[in-house]
Amino acid sequence: MSILPKNVSFSRQILPVLAVIGLVVAALYIFSSLPDRSTSEPEQQPPRATGDMANSARVAGAGLVEPSSEIIDIGSALSGLVTDLRVQPGDRVEKGQPLFLVDDRAARARLAEANAAISEARAAIVEAQAAQRTANQQLALYDNLDDPAAVSRAEVIRAEGDAAAAQSRLELSRARLAAAQAQAGSAQTELNRLTVRAPITGEILAVNIRPGEFVATQGGNSQPFIQMGETIPLHVRVDIDENEAVRVKLGADAIISPRGAAEIRANAKFVRAEPLVVPKRQLTNSAAERVDVRVLQIIYALPQGDAFRVGQQVDAFIPADGSPAEEG
Amino acid sequence: MLWIAIRMLTGDAQKFYGLLFGIAFSTLLITQQLTIFVNLIERGASGVYNAPEAEIWVMDPVSRTTDVNYAMPSTALDEVRSVPGVEWAVPHLRAAASVRTSAGDLEGVAIIGVDDATLIGLPERLLEGDKSILSRPDSVIIDDGGVVNLFENGEEPIGQRLELNDQRAVIRGIADSIPSFTSQVTLYTKYSQALNFVPGTRNRLTFVLAGVSEGLSAEDVAARIEQQTGLKAETRQEFADAGVSFIVENTGIPTNFGITVVLGFVVGVAIVGLTFSLFIRDNIKQFGALKAIGVTNAKIVSMVGAQAALVGTVGYALGVIGTVVFIYAFSGNPFFKGFYIPWQIPLISLVSVIIILAMTGFIALRSVLNTEPAAVFR
Repeated sequence: MSILPKNVSFSRQILPVLAVIGLVVAALYIFSSLPDRSTSEPEQQPPRATGDMANSARVAGAGLVEPSSEIIDIGSALSGLVTDLRVQPGDRVEKGQPLFLVDDRAARARLAEANAAISEARAAIVEAQAAQRTANQQLALYDNLDDPAAVSRAEVIRAEGDAAAAQSRLELSRARLAAAQAQAGSAQTELNRLTVRAPITGEILAVNIRPGEFVATQGGNSQPFIQMGETIPLHVRVDIDENEAVRVKLGADAIISPRGAAEIRANAKFVRAEPLVVPKRQLTNSAAERVDVRVLQIIYALPQGDAFRVGQQVDAFIPADGSPAEEG
Repeated sequence: MLWIAIRMLTGDAQKFYGLLFGIAFSTLLITQQLTIFVNLIERGASGVYNAPEAEIWVMDPVSRTTDVNYAMPSTALDEVRSVPGVEWAVPHLRAAASVRTSAGDLEGVAIIGVDDATLIGLPERLLEGDKSILSRPDSVIIDDGGVVNLFENGEEPIGQRLELNDQRAVIRGIADSIPSFTSQVTLYTKYSQALNFVPGTRNRLTFVLAGVSEGLSAEDVAARIEQQTGLKAETRQEFADAGVSFIVENTGIPTNFGITVVLGFVVGVAIVGLTFSLFIRDNIKQFGALKAIGVTNAKIVSMVGAQAALVGTVGYALGVIGTVVFIYAFSGNPFFKGFYIPWQIPLISLVSVIIILAMTGFIALRSVLNTEPAAVFR
C-alpha cells in the first residue's frame, strides 16, 4: 500500500516533513532556553565558622576592635591655645611623655611675678633684719647705761618700740616671702598642668588638634583632642544578642574575621564579659541606627598581627554551651 | 490502506487546511497563553532567582514574599549565623523608595541592599559595569528593565544622578536581572548605603540570606533555623513558590489565562470537530465502498486514526512553532525579558490536541462504523 507516488505532494510530503523539522527545532529552542535556576557559590568568601564550630552549636556576633586599654580620650586640664604638638598618630609613647603643650605665657608671667615677689620679700627681710639690728643695738645701748637719768624714759620707750616694730616687719617680710613662694609654686603647678602627658604607655590613635587651635575644657567640642590606647595586644568587643547570650560558652576562644576579609580567621582568647548588658550601639551598619536590642559585650584578645586595626568591624563566632552531639 | 486514508484527507484541500488551522490555532492559543501565564506568575519569584547564591531566605515570620516583607532587628543576622549548618549568612535589605529623576519625574523604585563585603544578593551578571563599582561612594546598579522605565527618552543611564531620600545616588552599572511582577525599577546597592536611601525606621533588615554547609540539605537547615531563632526560614524553592502563589492568590491572572486556555480548547474542539465530521460525512460513500470490499471496522478506525495523526502532528507542530516564533520575536522586548517555554507546556497542549482529536474522531467515526456497505449506492 505504501507506494511512493510519482509526483511530490505538498500537503502529503513536504508539509509533514517541514512540520516535524519545525517541531524538532522548536524542542531544541525550548530546551536550550530553559532558565538556569541553580544556585551559585559566592564570588567572595562570606564570614563562616570553620573547623569544629562549623557544624556544632555556636553563637555569632559582630564586634569592634579596640585597644586592650580601651580608647583613652586625652583631655586638657586647662583651656588655651595649643602651642606645641609632640606626637603624631601611630607614635608609641611612654607613660608621662608630653603629648602637647597649651599656651603657658600667662602662667609664666605669673611665675615671674611670683619670683619677683620672692626677691622683693627677700630684700624686705634683709632690710627688716638691718632695721632690727639697728633697733636692737640702740636698745642695748640704752639698756647698758648705768645711769637711768642719762636718757629720758621717752627715749627708751621709743627704742623699745623700734625694736618691736623691726621684729614684726621681719616677720611680715618672712610671711610675704612664704606667700610669694606659694604663688610661685602655684604658677609652677599651672605650668605643669599646661603640658599634657601620656597617662599610660601606648599608641597614639588619633590627633584631632593642631598647633594654634584652642582647646576648651568646657564641653561644646565633642571631639577628643588626642586618642590613645595600648594596642599590644588588641582586644575585640563582641556584641551578642541578649537572646543568644545565655548560650555563649564563656571562656572559650572565638574565631574572628575582619569585614571583607573572611579568609582571615584569627583565634582570639577570652578576656572577660562585661557585667552590664547594654543597648546595642556598635553597629553592623549606619550611625543613626536605633535598635531596642540589648547586647552582652564580651572581650577577646586578638593574636599579634597586622590583620586588625582599632575601630575595625569584625564578625565573630563563639562556641555555644552544649555538646555538638546534642545540638546536632 | 493508510496511504489511501491520507490521500482521502488531503484530497479536499479546503477541509484539510481547515483542520490544520483548527489544531494549529488551539495549540498556539493553549501553548502561548500558558507560557505567558507561567512566565508572568513566575515574575513573583524573580527576586529570589535574582539572588543566585542564597540557598535559604530567613525573614520575619509575617513576611510572605520578597516584596511583602517585615523588617527584623539587625541582630537577627547574628542569630542566623549562630545556627549550626549555616555556612554563611549575610544581610539583605529590600524596601520601596521614591526617586526623583533628573527630568523631575517621580518614580517608585525597589531598593535592594546587598551585603557590603561579599555582594551576595546581586544578580549573577551585569550588562554594564563591574560589581566592584559598588564600593565607590553613592553607587547604585539599576536593573535593565528599570532603564527602560526610568529613561524613556533613551538617555544613557550610566553616570545619571538620582535623588533618593535626599541622598545622591549615581547609576554606575546595569544588572541583567529578571524583572519583577510589577516591572518596578530596581536599584541595587550596598546594605549600608541602602540604609541611607530608605527612609529611617527602627528595624531595616528585611532578609538574611544563608548558605548551607556541605553535606546538609537546605530543608533541614531551614527547619533548624526556624527552631533555634523563631524566624521564618524558607529554601530558595519554597520562597520562589511563595512568591508565585502570592500572585496566584491575589490577582485575577490565573482566572483570565484559564479562560483563554479553555477558550482555545473549545475553539479547537469546535473547528476540528465540525470539519472532521463534515469530512467524514462527505466521504461516507468511500467508507461504505471500503466496507463493501471487506474492510473491517478496525481497519477503518486505524485509517481515521492515521488521518487524525497527520492532522494532529502537522497542526500541533505549526502551533508550537508559532509559539516559539512568538517568544523568540518578543525576547528583545523588556516586558518579555526572561520568558521561556517550560517544557511541560508543549506536552500539555499535545495532550489537549490528542483529546480534541480523540473526541471529534470518535464522534465522526460513529456514523462510519454504523454505515452499511449499501450506503455506497445511496
